[in-house]
Amino acid sequence: MSVAMSESITTNGYTDDLRYEIFNREFMPHIDSMYNFAFRLTMDEDDANDLVQDTYLKAFRFISSFEQGTNAKAWLFRILKNSFINDYRKKSKEPSKVDYQEVETTYNSEEASDTTYTVDLRADAVQELIGDEVANALNALPVDFRTVIILCDIEGFTYEEMAKILDIPIGTVRSRLHRARNLLKEKLKSYASSMGYDS
Amino acid sequence: MNASSHTPSVTEEAQKQPMKHSCEHHAECMKIIQSILDDEATEAEKDHFRENMDKCLPCIEAYRLEKCIKESLSLKLVKKPCPQSILDTILSKVNS
Repeated sequence: MSVAMSESITTNGYTDDLRYEIFNREFMPHIDSMYNFAFRLTMDEDDANDLVQDTYLKAFRFISSFEQGTNAKAWLFRILKNSFINDYRKKSKEPSKVDYQEVETTYNSEEASDTTYTVDLRADAVQELIGDEVANALNALPVDFRTVIILCDIEGFTYEEMAKILDIPIGTVRSRLHRARNLLKEKLKSYASSMGYDS
Repeated sequence: MNASSHTPSVTEEAQKQPMKHSCEHHAECMKIIQSILDDEATEAEKDHFRENMDKCLPCIEAYRLEKCIKESLSLKLVKKPCPQSILDTILSKVNS
């Protein structure tokens, strides 16, 4: 969206008072969730700070394209995700591109998603894990897989909302979640084993 | 319904049947378990779940594990508050 276009929308859209009102009433209550999402994507405090700040300033600048009564949280998350991809992903401390492609190839094939896939992990072992261990297992996932788990299990978005935030079809949300959870189970399994919880 | 006219519940009916120790459609069941836990299941998926889940050991264990992981993610992870300095910067830039 060009700046010129946004300005013309702004002129024809909300009054200044309404813009501030929407910003404070609809956007600001989500700032903690946004901050945590930014932190889990970038895994860096300074980058998370910048990302949240950039996202909120963009949200204000383009507030005319936010339709009142629609889901503000999903709208904000989408802007944050796009900013992350465009501005931060390249420099973030991600597992290398090679690892990621390897994972994508393995888990994107139809065979991999159709075959019965089990990790030898018990619910009791997961119950023993503390928050930091679960967080580390989550953080060890490639960012696209980490993202769907954050959106679904931590933030409670529906598949439809996730599809809009990520610009992917609902079927892809479903299958990516499935793969992400299988990967997460592997990571949890290694934590549980190292802690001796699975014996 | 009082106790004397009690009809067996689905669970009690299921308990009379031998418990399955392997699942012939476990991959499909895993997808259904995911839909159920995410509150995204279709009516057909809910029916399949109700009819099969309490008599199939691998599916019961898988359900418990997936539920436990989902709950761990939502309950155990620390949620940090956004630093006040970020809030202040955003508000001052928006209001300038």
